[in-house]
Amino acid sequence: MTDWGALVGPAWAAPGRADDAVDGVVPTSVVRPAGIEQVQAVVRAAVGDRRALVPSGRGAHLDVGAPPARVDVLVRLDRLARVIDHQAADMTVTVETGCSLACLGAALAAAGQWLPLDPPRPEETTVGGLIAADLSGPLRASQGTVRDLLIGLRVVGADGAVVTGGGRVVKNVAGYDLPKLHVGALGTVGVIVEATFKVRPRPAAEEAIVVACRTAREAADAALAVRDSDVAPLWLEVAGAGGLAEGPGEGAALVVGLGGIAEEIAEARACVQRIAESLRLRAAMVSGGTALRARLGAFPVEPAVAVLKAATLPAEVGAVMERIAAAAREQGTAARCLAHASSGVIRAAITEPAAVAPLVQALRPTLERAGGSLTIERAAPTVKRGVEVWGDPGPGLPLMRSVKAAFDPSGVFAPGRYVGGL
Amino acid sequence: MAHERRRHRGQHARVNLGGTGAEQDAPGRCEGARDRGHGGALYTSEDRGYKSVPVLPTALVARLRAVVGADGVIDRPEALLVYECDGYTLERAAPEVVVLPRTPAEVGAVLRILAAVQVAFVPRGAGTGLSGGTLPIAAPVMICTSRLDRIETIDVPNRRIVAQAGVVNQWVSTAVRAHGLCYAPDPSSQPACTIGGNVAENSGGPHTLKYGVTTNHVLGVELALPSGELVALGGAVEDRPGYDLVGLVVGAEGTFGVVTRATLRLVRLPAAHRTLLAVFDSVDAASEAVSGIIGAGIVPAALEMMDRLIIQAVEAAFKIGLPTDAGAVLLIEIDGPAAGLDEHAARATAVCRTSGVREIRVARDETERAALWKCRKRAFGAVGRLAPNYCTQDGVVPRTRVPEIVRIIAEVADRHRLRIANVFHAGDGNIHPILLFDERDRDEVARVRAAGRAILEACVALGGSLTGEHGIGVEKVAEMPLLFTPADLLAMARLRAVFDPEGRANPHKIFPDAKVCVETRVPRRQAAV
Repeated sequence: MTDWGALVGPAWAAPGRADDAVDGVVPTSVVRPAGIEQVQAVVRAAVGDRRALVPSGRGAHLDVGAPPARVDVLVRLDRLARVIDHQAADMTVTVETGCSLACLGAALAAAGQWLPLDPPRPEETTVGGLIAADLSGPLRASQGTVRDLLIGLRVVGADGAVVTGGGRVVKNVAGYDLPKLHVGALGTVGVIVEATFKVRPRPAAEEAIVVACRTAREAADAALAVRDSDVAPLWLEVAGAGGLAEGPGEGAALVVGLGGIAEEIAEARACVQRIAESLRLRAAMVSGGTALRARLGAFPVEPAVAVLKAATLPAEVGAVMERIAAAAREQGTAARCLAHASSGVIRAAITEPAAVAPLVQALRPTLERAGGSLTIERAAPTVKRGVEVWGDPGPGLPLMRSVKAAFDPSGVFAPGRYVGGL
Repeated sequence: MAHERRRHRGQHARVNLGGTGAEQDAPGRCEGARDRGHGGALYTSEDRGYKSVPVLPTALVARLRAVVGADGVIDRPEALLVYECDGYTLERAAPEVVVLPRTPAEVGAVLRILAAVQVAFVPRGAGTGLSGGTLPIAAPVMICTSRLDRIETIDVPNRRIVAQAGVVNQWVSTAVRAHGLCYAPDPSSQPACTIGGNVAENSGGPHTLKYGVTTNHVLGVELALPSGELVALGGAVEDRPGYDLVGLVVGAEGTFGVVTRATLRLVRLPAAHRTLLAVFDSVDAASEAVSGIIGAGIVPAALEMMDRLIIQAVEAAFKIGLPTDAGAVLLIEIDGPAAGLDEHAARATAVCRTSGVREIRVARDETERAALWKCRKRAFGAVGRLAPNYCTQDGVVPRTRVPEIVRIIAEVADRHRLRIANVFHAGDGNIHPILLFDERDRDEVARVRAAGRAILEACVALGGSLTGEHGIGVEKVAEMPLLFTPADLLAMARLRAVFDPEGRANPHKIFPDAKVCVETRVPRRQAAV
């Protein structure tokens, strides 16, 4: 047995409990290192003793991905939680990866700035989890995703050395763009301990407009009309039947988020109303756009047996939402759908366990043939066991295997969680 | 997986950090190539000890010709002169042969021929690069993408375009302008530079502050691996599961293979612009305005600064009416929906006044906007009148450190008895000192190199980087250890070996020419499952 307590102090190493489970797999041990040196020591010991290691923050997103082959040690980074350096005038922030998004957000808000990434559960989501699971929310429509905002990383690699990729400046092409390797990699190529992001000024105000539509396709078409207008939406969501708690029941809805100074918002609001009228649709203002955005952003973690994530081209969103609804009907159930309309990302919440595998089988081939994907974003471990979580990652898979072999030669980093069994 | 790992264990190869593991036995190795590494100074190719000895067998050239056609192979010495350098002219080296494939498949066929005989190659687009990334060093074959010039698909509803590597950057925006769209990255060389080159260098441009650089707009690439295999990475749809290999290929400077086509994201043309030219007495005052504008929560589309020497050169060349005693001018452009632009422009103006602006000119229409931009876009041309040669440096500092780096650049210029003009992307902290010289003066050339290094050292010391958009190429390989530890470089070498285990793709770029050989496992490509 590896003596983890000797590395991090006996008080910070404990046997794993049921609520430490990674997608149903309970870790043998849980360690909470106090700093980068201790993370290095833990990684060296794991590699030396061939112990499977899964990095974790506060555990909010450990059910993303395939269940790991085994977990000998869960490395919780919640003690590496400092905001190291917020340079407001440079619009950059360097932060330890155990820091929660809520905590980081509070530090940035003091300077009127934000890291415009809005995944669910900001209180429980750490910066490391944000990067490793490539989390995003409605704001990606205008602000991009982690890969667009991350400019530097420090990572503990399989040899225990700390590797720095990128830097702290907003524009930098020195050497390979190593931070990209770790975005969405679920900790399979190293333990991320520090990150630097570009930050942006937070809009002076935010509001939302809900446009009631008869069908998802109508809402998706209206979304593209808004995208192609002078509105410049901050975010743009399309909800299918039941996708929006306060929404129009059996119908669908387009929800447009607006941000900026009063004059910008007023003009954009008028523009959305004109578009709605021209399509014979009814638009209603929602005060507190930020709160509505947070509710929509929480869709992936709302109670459901499984949340599927389909990715397609923006112009296909309406058609794919209809296909999902039809496939669910065939399985004798219903799927609530919500889409990031301009990104082509659709989520479907399924409530019937037996319907998940047949739905994946029905939907995945068509999406993949068109260059898209269908992944099981979240599901109970029992449901995941019966179906492939990731689908086909495409012709890059052999290169991905080589990447994994190059950065994790002994296969200790989160084995089995990633695409192709990596 | 376990079985495969066992099978491959023990396959060790000595990989030089310079990525030249195969060079010693490969045809095309250069005389003296093993005697390099004289501690940090910059060299001309000859100084480096490279003296290319023609070694490509005639039969090999004939096979290349059979693939790309008689007009697709250039091997007459006088015709090769064009290819002996790119926009970085301090070093020159001609390839033995330039191959111009007409299709991605031909790129693959050419690479398969080279792979069979272990010959190294260098990819090249339009040759507008500024760091010597296309300089053929120990790489006898240059693969030029200029005949891969087709825009393959334009998808307006989804805002995507698929362009072959040799498509010129500006053609992309021109092709979609009628649909109200454009391709955002706009490097100064955009009338000539290619998409393939942009992908290799992760190119920027004046509008990156708001719109991002190449990597933010490339969704997919087709990469011809050094083995000759074509592999499609990413694609038109976002969020494909798996490692972000596209993000790694962008900015790899051609060391992973040859990018043959790319799927690009298009953005909406801004509905309106407000373009202002603010004249300041000093760079300090202009920098204070830059910080003030950012601090006020305004994200301009561009925020470009030019110093006195540039102003004087531009004025002498183009008579725009700039005050030649000004210390700096700031070009500020704000774009987006028309509503609110006046308010943003008014706030930017107020910030400039607080910072002691001397004069603000506001473009009233597109003609006046073009006139204000002319002063920025023609800066390099104007500098050409000041000296027979110039070398554009590219460094980055946190934007609040711009006044410090400008002061340091002035000291460096004094110390090395050089004239250095400054034009830079102030909003990004991306500086472009232009070092003036006469290439016939060997001593002055040496001082230009020393001054360039001193400026880069200062950038790193201020928390910045060696390059914001030009790349490392050959120009800055010696400076890489200023920024990266051996562990960082080893991680990069491991990544390189995934794509190019034999080190035949654009050797001697990016990685410092240290004589350190590291023991690293070269994972063999495994069959797809």
